[in-house]
Amino acid sequence: MLRLAEVSFGLEGERIISKISFTLGQGEFAALLGENGAGKSTLCRLSMGLLKPAAGRVLVCGQDTAAVKTSAIARQAGFLFQNPDRQICRPSVAGEIMLGLELTVPDPAERERRCRETLALFSLDPEAHPFNLSRGERQLLALASVLAPGPRLLILDEPTTGLDYRECMTVMEIIARRNREGATVLMVSHDMEVASDFARRVLVLNRGELAGDGPVREIMRDQALLQRASLLPPQIPALALSLGGQFAAAFTIEEMAALAANSRRGRL
Amino acid sequence: MSGLLDYVPGNTFLHRLHPLSKLIFSFGLCLACFLTQNHWLVLGVIVCSLLQAALAGMLKPALAVLRALSKLSLLLFLAQVFFVRQGQIVLSLPLDIYITDQGLSFSCLFVLRLIAVTLPLFIMLSITRMSDLTNALTRLGLPYKYAFALTTAMRFIPLFGKEMSEIMEAQTARGVEFDSKNFCKKLKLILPLCLPLLLSSVRRIENSAIAAELRGFNVRKKDSGYKRYVLGRGDAAVLGALVLILAAVGLEHFYG
Repeated sequence: MLRLAEVSFGLEGERIISKISFTLGQGEFAALLGENGAGKSTLCRLSMGLLKPAAGRVLVCGQDTAAVKTSAIARQAGFLFQNPDRQICRPSVAGEIMLGLELTVPDPAERERRCRETLALFSLDPEAHPFNLSRGERQLLALASVLAPGPRLLILDEPTTGLDYRECMTVMEIIARRNREGATVLMVSHDMEVASDFARRVLVLNRGELAGDGPVREIMRDQALLQRASLLPPQIPALALSLGGQFAAAFTIEEMAALAANSRRGRL
Repeated sequence: MSGLLDYVPGNTFLHRLHPLSKLIFSFGLCLACFLTQNHWLVLGVIVCSLLQAALAGMLKPALAVLRALSKLSLLLFLAQVFFVRQGQIVLSLPLDIYITDQGLSFSCLFVLRLIAVTLPLFIMLSITRMSDLTNALTRLGLPYKYAFALTTAMRFIPLFGKEMSEIMEAQTARGVEFDSKNFCKKLKLILPLCLPLLLSSVRRIENSAIAAELRGFNVRKKDSGYKRYVLGRGDAAVLGALVLILAAVGLEHFYG
């Protein structure tokens, strides 16, 4: 679905991305982690074809981003920006969702159906003016308009920034559902809890290099790697590692609770 | 990455000049361009501006601006040259279209002036901090509020440019064909983007105004700035050069 082969990119003589290679297959959910300035957003832009690599190749659904227009790649992939206000340009919520559909779905009846479905899924008022919505609602609207055309690849640049816990969970549940339906997700996040709860694979960027790539449980326990990338592990794996012994394997609250219960039963 | 009107940090002779000297020199060059009808003098101002850019260590961005202006100038030249009907015909085309010597002269002067006026202002804004420019304008007697409004408006131009390109990037990622090579198509697509640009601009300006209020904008007086600007020998040299340029233009105007 997404393949990067030896991709490098720089600006004004400064190397931002250095020889990065990875492949995301259909239905994968990967979190892209790293400190500010590690190159996460640049990597997302390269993956969408908004930036062209200085070296190497980026393939989205088999299409080389250097050879095709970004607008053509957008037929297959959806990109959510950090700031929803960059994406919103129509004077109504329904119109905003229709924009992406008009560009990708030729049948007007099908467009209408998808728009209604999306509005219901996100509980959005079709007539509301997007700029009268709260920051969280605008983020939801931006995500809704990205998801409505049904992209096979979702590239999300910090989709939960500026959202409260409830909005964050709403957004993540919708993304997870779309992932279960077969969409591939590449998500940038600074929230280690969100990344560990929803992603199954983690890519760690450190100063433009891919410092780690593996299953979420493996990467979130690799303290040396996380420290190198200036990241802190999520709370439960951190607690599990500090307790050690029989608790060391716990990754979720449920697992930790079960191990604690077993331990108590053993003592009794 | 610095934008078109962003300050380019440096410690060159030109960077160290009094902000008023830079302002007067650049506006003096613009004045010279409008006072003269001589193509060579206007060309001389362009060369002078490029020399200034080289001294300020920013020849590359100045040449990039020159290249961009040259493209625009070509379009303006073509738009002008066919509409001046006075003078000797130098090239006759079908459908009663022709180019005259006066048309050629007027169009050349027009585009040369455009370039010659833009370059000094671009260089002045690139080597002067907006805060220094505001202070300089205040010292000239302009009320601080107006000086601040003027420099803030200039500071917002590159920000809006950046904002617009980010909005266009976001729309391209949604499938809107901003990456098309068709200029008319692109222009048609840009118009609906004025709404998000306008709204984000209003929001940004509102935030800036609140931040300025909170930092005591209204209690500021003429002498509130801690920086003191001293006129030096460099300033005298630059202003002397400007007087010579204006004198040359005056002589050419009366005796040329």
